[in-house]
Amino acid sequence: MSEEYPLIPVKFVVNGKEVEVKVKPYERLVDTLRYRLGLSSIKEGCGRGECGSCVVIVDDKLVPSCLMLTVQVRGKKILTLEGIGSEDKLHPIQKAFIETHAPQCGFCIPGVIMAAYWLLEVKKNLNPSIDDIKEALSGNICRCGSYFRFIKAVQLAAEELRKMKKI
Amino acid sequence: MQIREGKIKPKWLVDLSGFHNELSYVKREGNEIKIGALTTVGELEETFLFKERKYGGFVDVFKKFANAHVRNLATIGGNVAVAVSASDFILLFKVLDAKVRLESVRGTRWINIHDLIVEKRTLAKQPDEVIIEISFSDIPSNAATAFMKFDYREVTVTGIVTVASYLKLKNGIIEDIRVAFDRVSRRIPDRVLKTEEFLKGKEFNEEVIKAAYNNVLVKEMKRKTDFRASGEYRLHLSKVLLKRVLFLCKNRLGEV
Amino acid sequence: MSRVAEYVQIVEEVFHKKPKEYLVIGKTVKKYNSLELALGKPVYLADYINRFKELLWLKTVRSPYAHAKIKRIDFSEALKLKGVVGVVTADDVPGSKNIGYVLPDQPVLAYDKVRYHGEGIAIIAAVEKEIAEEAVSLVKVEYEPLPVLLDPLKALKPDAPKIHDKGNILTRFKIRRGNIEEGFSKADAVVEGEYRVNQQEHAYIETEGVIAIPEPDGTITLIINTQCPFDVRRDVSRATGLSFNKIRVIVPMIGGGFGGKEDVLNIIGARAAIAAMKFRKPVVLIHDREECVLDHSKRHAGIMRYKHGATKDGKLVAVQGEIILDTGAYASLGPFVLWRATVHSVGPYVVPNAKIDSVLVYTNKLYAGAFRGFGCPQVAFAVERQMDKLAEKLGMDPLEFRLKNILREGDQTVHGQLLDHSVGLEDILERLGKASNWKQKRAEYEKFNRETKGVIRKGIGLAIWWHGNSIGAEGADYSSAVIIINRDGTITYRTNITDFGNASPQGHIMIVSEILGVPLEYIHIERPDTSAAPDAGPTVASRGQVMGGNAALVAAYKLRQRLNQVAADMLECSPDEVVIKAPDVYCKSDPSKRISWRDLVEECFWRGVPLQEIGYYRAPRAIWDDETGQGQPYFTYTYVGAIAEVEVDIETGKVRVTKLYGAFDIGKVINRVGLELHAEGGAIMSMGYALTEEVKYDENGLVMNPNLYAYYVPTILDVPDSIEYEFIEAGFKRGPFGAKGFGEPSVEPWHPAIANAIAYALKVDVNEIPATPERIYRLLKKAGLLKI
Repeated sequence: MSEEYPLIPVKFVVNGKEVEVKVKPYERLVDTLRYRLGLSSIKEGCGRGECGSCVVIVDDKLVPSCLMLTVQVRGKKILTLEGIGSEDKLHPIQKAFIETHAPQCGFCIPGVIMAAYWLLEVKKNLNPSIDDIKEALSGNICRCGSYFRFIKAVQLAAEELRKMKKI
Repeated sequence: MQIREGKIKPKWLVDLSGFHNELSYVKREGNEIKIGALTTVGELEETFLFKERKYGGFVDVFKKFANAHVRNLATIGGNVAVAVSASDFILLFKVLDAKVRLESVRGTRWINIHDLIVEKRTLAKQPDEVIIEISFSDIPSNAATAFMKFDYREVTVTGIVTVASYLKLKNGIIEDIRVAFDRVSRRIPDRVLKTEEFLKGKEFNEEVIKAAYNNVLVKEMKRKTDFRASGEYRLHLSKVLLKRVLFLCKNRLGEV
Repeated sequence: MSRVAEYVQIVEEVFHKKPKEYLVIGKTVKKYNSLELALGKPVYLADYINRFKELLWLKTVRSPYAHAKIKRIDFSEALKLKGVVGVVTADDVPGSKNIGYVLPDQPVLAYDKVRYHGEGIAIIAAVEKEIAEEAVSLVKVEYEPLPVLLDPLKALKPDAPKIHDKGNILTRFKIRRGNIEEGFSKADAVVEGEYRVNQQEHAYIETEGVIAIPEPDGTITLIINTQCPFDVRRDVSRATGLSFNKIRVIVPMIGGGFGGKEDVLNIIGARAAIAAMKFRKPVVLIHDREECVLDHSKRHAGIMRYKHGATKDGKLVAVQGEIILDTGAYASLGPFVLWRATVHSVGPYVVPNAKIDSVLVYTNKLYAGAFRGFGCPQVAFAVERQMDKLAEKLGMDPLEFRLKNILREGDQTVHGQLLDHSVGLEDILERLGKASNWKQKRAEYEKFNRETKGVIRKGIGLAIWWHGNSIGAEGADYSSAVIIINRDGTITYRTNITDFGNASPQGHIMIVSEILGVPLEYIHIERPDTSAAPDAGPTVASRGQVMGGNAALVAAYKLRQRLNQVAADMLECSPDEVVIKAPDVYCKSDPSKRISWRDLVEECFWRGVPLQEIGYYRAPRAIWDDETGQGQPYFTYTYVGAIAEVEVDIETGKVRVTKLYGAFDIGKVINRVGLELHAEGGAIMSMGYALTEEVKYDENGLVMNPNLYAYYVPTILDVPDSIEYEFIEAGFKRGPFGAKGFGEPSVEPWHPAIANAIAYALKVDVNEIPATPERIYRLLKKAGLLKI
């Protein structure tokens, strides 16, 4: 199968590191990130942009990686959950989600944290209203029903970020 | 999505996203508003379309357009090209009487949105023509647009019934009115011309609008039943939404 | 003479010893893996793929018909594709071709006919996922379509199309108590109603999947996201012929279960195991979203007809009910769901005369099985609507009417079961009434609705329910847990209760922490593994905390006794004076004399005192008479209640839930956060069931919404403005520290409360859920309330 399709080299930046992969033209970004680059935070829940578990930030836009082809991110900067914090240095948003006990099964959490990151750090809305929060997380389905906790977590993270940036 | 479902396995894919910088714009040129086909729905938020109430229809479509992340990928041109009743921007462009600019190796041509969308997933364009831009005459200060999408849930993709309207009032009289629904009789968004005709020149009030939907709209519109909702309920909702979308327009006009 | 087992004595002893303060029980603690989850660590099934150098991808060939004979399958085109390794069909199943949790009526792979849209008939194995997917599309199957049966009422008729050879009726249950005619003769008010519920889809975000590895020693290992690893082992054994000790099932962290991953993975695991054995290579099978919806169980749809009678001073005298549940194409957990629905069919009330008949039928819908609530949510809707209607007929406040009829300590249930303790219903109603300002709000909204000129009507509604803990008479109810105190003082905890976001494994280690006196950080929970710990029973029926927790408690207790003996010797005091607050160990009488936890552990090693323990707990046998429905179906019940406030748009029929109040008698709070999340999450799931969620079929039985955009799961934009709730601890002497289960009761009171609230707002009879805007529109139209 793969011989019929020429492999296309694509260079892009992931979490600050330059990578080059050779992909089939119709290879999806979610598959490249998960399987070629081992970024496990990106989940596939539906493959159609309906559940939000695969969202990443591409050039400052929150996008569903299951609906993007890898060839489309040539030359772009991608940010995933692995890039915003680690065990040694959790991002305030990650801390807030843990403090508010938001994760139940945890499958939606990376996508929700990325949506929160997009709202707070990319769009730089550090005083989000509840409607702003709901809007940013509108595409993340949490079947365990932690929505109330998400709102609290984002508010807590916003407060922490305001303190850190002395706003 | 069709790639994912294996419906198409393109050997060569022409990726237009590289043209994003050139084809993503919302600008005013003289009396025309021009929108580049690769403008994403998400990008509309930063444009002047979000700043003046008369362009409210764009804000309304944005708010009900799937969810936050899909908006960042979906393009205006893509929404038009898909040509289904769920293509919310087609409703808006139809009430704005928009023109679509097509380009190919043979050159450029413009086509009226009403002529471009022929039937479900069918456009009056050659396979090698690309949608470059959609433009429409700027909205006068005594007119406004609005759009409403009804579904069982707040986050909605397809919607049960959608409606877009353009309303121009003068001294409380309807000077110009254009209304489009997700479906009227064809399987694509369409204007309800007879209902518009009835309303034109009349005074804008509840009784007039009630007469419009109870006497004219119900005859002009044929609603089908599918697994989501019955034709009867859709027709009922169309009446409710006609009323609400027109009043939404009216509120945006203020005292006119 | 009955002898109470030692493990029961231990649980009761711990319950009765109520200390003034607990170390961790009832406290708010972080979930053991919340850090991993917030970091997006590779802990789910699909994350194991990258650990393998070579995996064969399996994809399933599925039926495009809801009911058809399979005439011929032609794999020739598919096999020509480069990279396709082979095919697995029913002919390749070495053992039983049919398996099933209750009845073996479900094929591992369909062979003579298909009975639901999407049923799997063959597996293609290929070196890459896309090759397998393409190969599936090249398989040519010749079907002979058969008439499709979708109506459960039609399924009862003898001339209906036969889904299975034995006919469409699987099983029946009944309750006979008192004298029903005499009961109704005493009634001053009688209310009858017919209620319908539709199929609900679990819609967990992680789909089903399995990796099967044929091991060099002839055994097979399955990494599989199942709620019930030992059931997978049993069914893989049935299908492959391998003995239990040659099958190892490991369970990763699961992205949501809710019953949808209960028996479903038994067949999926069997398919993968057979493929792995046939091709002698590790294989992976993961469902995409559409396959997930089509190929796992659903909540039973059904029709319930009730007749309730009460005297004019508000006492229930008679309840008659007919329950028809539609189990779709295969039995799955259907018979047990029907049984639970029947047991709970009159609600948590004193009912002197009852006549209940229930029946389970096959149709060509997707097969129905376990779904959080398991028959209770369906009947709760019907019963709580009836109670409201009866209250209305009597001119009584619904809360007052319920107070007159609820079960209290000392009462007998409709099965004649004496509830000698642990009944928190009265507390639930009083707290709900107070928290929501019930009487005032009802009056306020009634006035608002009468006077408003707008399109919104406001409503407030109440519902209570009960949920028997664990599996009752469904089978032998036992659990096990393993605690190993390692030589460095850390603790390894093993349970085969699985984690899909439930309160359980966390609750277990809180119990262990409390009893041993060690901080939670000392304890590490290992992944469920059938080769590492004995059967804990399935993670279902809200039994994780009660049964799994009891097993952990028993193991911890026994270890503590031994530790106390050694410490007492080291510290020269009596064993019952030993205080362990690791790292410190001392005697109550002389706290200045201390040894360290590590010293104590080391001393045990030298003295030959074993520091590992397998805890076991078996629940008392359930008693159920098939003819009368009398006995002791469950060892205890969790009680729940909710009040919902709604706003209804009378032009569109759309309902918005504005406020929710809850009160729950869960015995004793162990994992406080876990219970809170159950309450909040359960409310959202129940709200979806009440208002928007429904699996839709066309007239040919094809599923119209096998996705997440046309099947309406609530999003963050749908949450109510507020939710408040409290836990009532009525205790339960045979639960760990008095705890009862909450996994399912947490979804049960909300949707009936919402339905009652809508009925109050509009003064219409809500008798079907989901109460979608179109259904509300039809109710408004019928009542002449449409003003458009």
